[in-house]
Amino acid sequence: MKYFLPFLFLISPLFSLGQDDLLDMLGEEEETAEYATATFKGTKIVNLQSSEIPAKGVMQFVILHRFGAINDDYFYNFLGLDNAQIRFSFDYSFTDWLNVGVARSSASKTYESFVKTKLLRQSTGKINMPISLVYYGSFNYSVQKWADNLPHNETDRMSFVNQLIIARKFSERFSAEIAPTMVHFNYVDTREMNNDLYFIGAGARMKINNRIALTAEYQLGLTNNFYMENGQQVNYQDALSIGVDIETGGHVFQLHLSNSRGLADPQWMARTPGTWGNGDIYLGFNISRVFTLKKPKEVEAPTF
Amino acid sequence: MKKLALLGLGITLSVMSFSQTLITRNAYIKFYSTTPIEDIEAASNQASSVLDLEKKQIVFQVLMNSFQFEKALMQEHFNENYIESAKFPKGIFKGEIASSEDLSKDGAHKVTISGELTVHGKKKSINTEMTLTKKGEEYLLDGKFEVSPADFEIPIPSAVENKIGKTLEITVKSKYQPK
Repeated sequence: MKYFLPFLFLISPLFSLGQDDLLDMLGEEEETAEYATATFKGTKIVNLQSSEIPAKGVMQFVILHRFGAINDDYFYNFLGLDNAQIRFSFDYSFTDWLNVGVARSSASKTYESFVKTKLLRQSTGKINMPISLVYYGSFNYSVQKWADNLPHNETDRMSFVNQLIIARKFSERFSAEIAPTMVHFNYVDTREMNNDLYFIGAGARMKINNRIALTAEYQLGLTNNFYMENGQQVNYQDALSIGVDIETGGHVFQLHLSNSRGLADPQWMARTPGTWGNGDIYLGFNISRVFTLKKPKEVEAPTF
Repeated sequence: MKKLALLGLGITLSVMSFSQTLITRNAYIKFYSTTPIEDIEAASNQASSVLDLEKKQIVFQVLMNSFQFEKALMQEHFNENYIESAKFPKGIFKGEIASSEDLSKDGAHKVTISGELTVHGKKKSINTEMTLTKKGEEYLLDGKFEVSPADFEIPIPSAVENKIGKTLEITVKSKYQPK
């Protein structure tokens, strides 16, 4: 027994030699949280916001382009390609969870400002979080001339969108989200129309390969939402869009078909008169380009 | 007295053997691609490595998604489209270290490192000269070698073909402490 201690010291080197694979020594690395990345390719799926924002210090320039309706005199207007509407937006990510931006949409002559912030990030490992949660809000100011001859307040031009985006990257290829949404119009044309409208947005993407993905989104209206035409109530329609995302080096190109031509949030969400069944289909594309304004801190190398 | 001597011998032996195994969890690995159109650089200082001077073995392990690029989108493409880090999360090097010099002396020593690098699930044998500098208890391994995306069957689409170099320069800087 009294030789036990020295014996232990003597054999301890043998233990260290017994470790055949040096990689085993690295085995007990600390578990970290693995965050889901690139749940969607773009910050929009088609019109609906995705759960993505650009990385910290990155400015994004997005052009949305919507052609005319395919059924608008068909080949006379070359399936709608003869006329087009456009929306420009610039946004910037101050942190990895906060993005703000401004935009201008041509059709409804709307200026927009918006904020998008990540509240929860999907992750596994040390932190287990099944979903990503994002808040999106936009303020919209239309400068369109009033068609009626009534006196208006400046605030009549304003509308607001509040949205929560609950997203999950189910696999490397498939991601989906649902987005409870509220749209508020300060002014509506008649007293029967609702100022507050509620929606459930839903969107998904399926990757075909590393650079191409199919997308779809649907904006389900929950509130009675209509306009008056010749004294009759005519319902607005839910917006349904399908598209394809193509990723090239510095930008994402999204090509899609939708029954909504609206560009500003309140327009495409709540002011879609046409249906797919009637051929009120609009071809459109989104192009995004990113610029790194603030570079991340350089990785430091060890020295003596 | 005999017992004490034995104890002393035991301690010395175990210390000696332990001092041969060096470890780090903050090894620095950088890769650099240069073309007339664009230079691309990414680095990680979260690689881990073990260097066993007695057995003359060396291993490296790095999580591919720990590489940081200047452009965030490039980093996303690297992980999603090229290296496929969800499928192949780690880059691993296993090899041998040889030198004609006495590595237990302080100062810079020329070493030869040869072994197998596994990235993107594909193996490539590497043979390169590096410098191992000893200062007290610590060692710094410093060197460069070249690989090509084709070695690891990473397809480069024609649209970006002339932005990504045919060969990439890998820089390694690894500072070890005794385990």
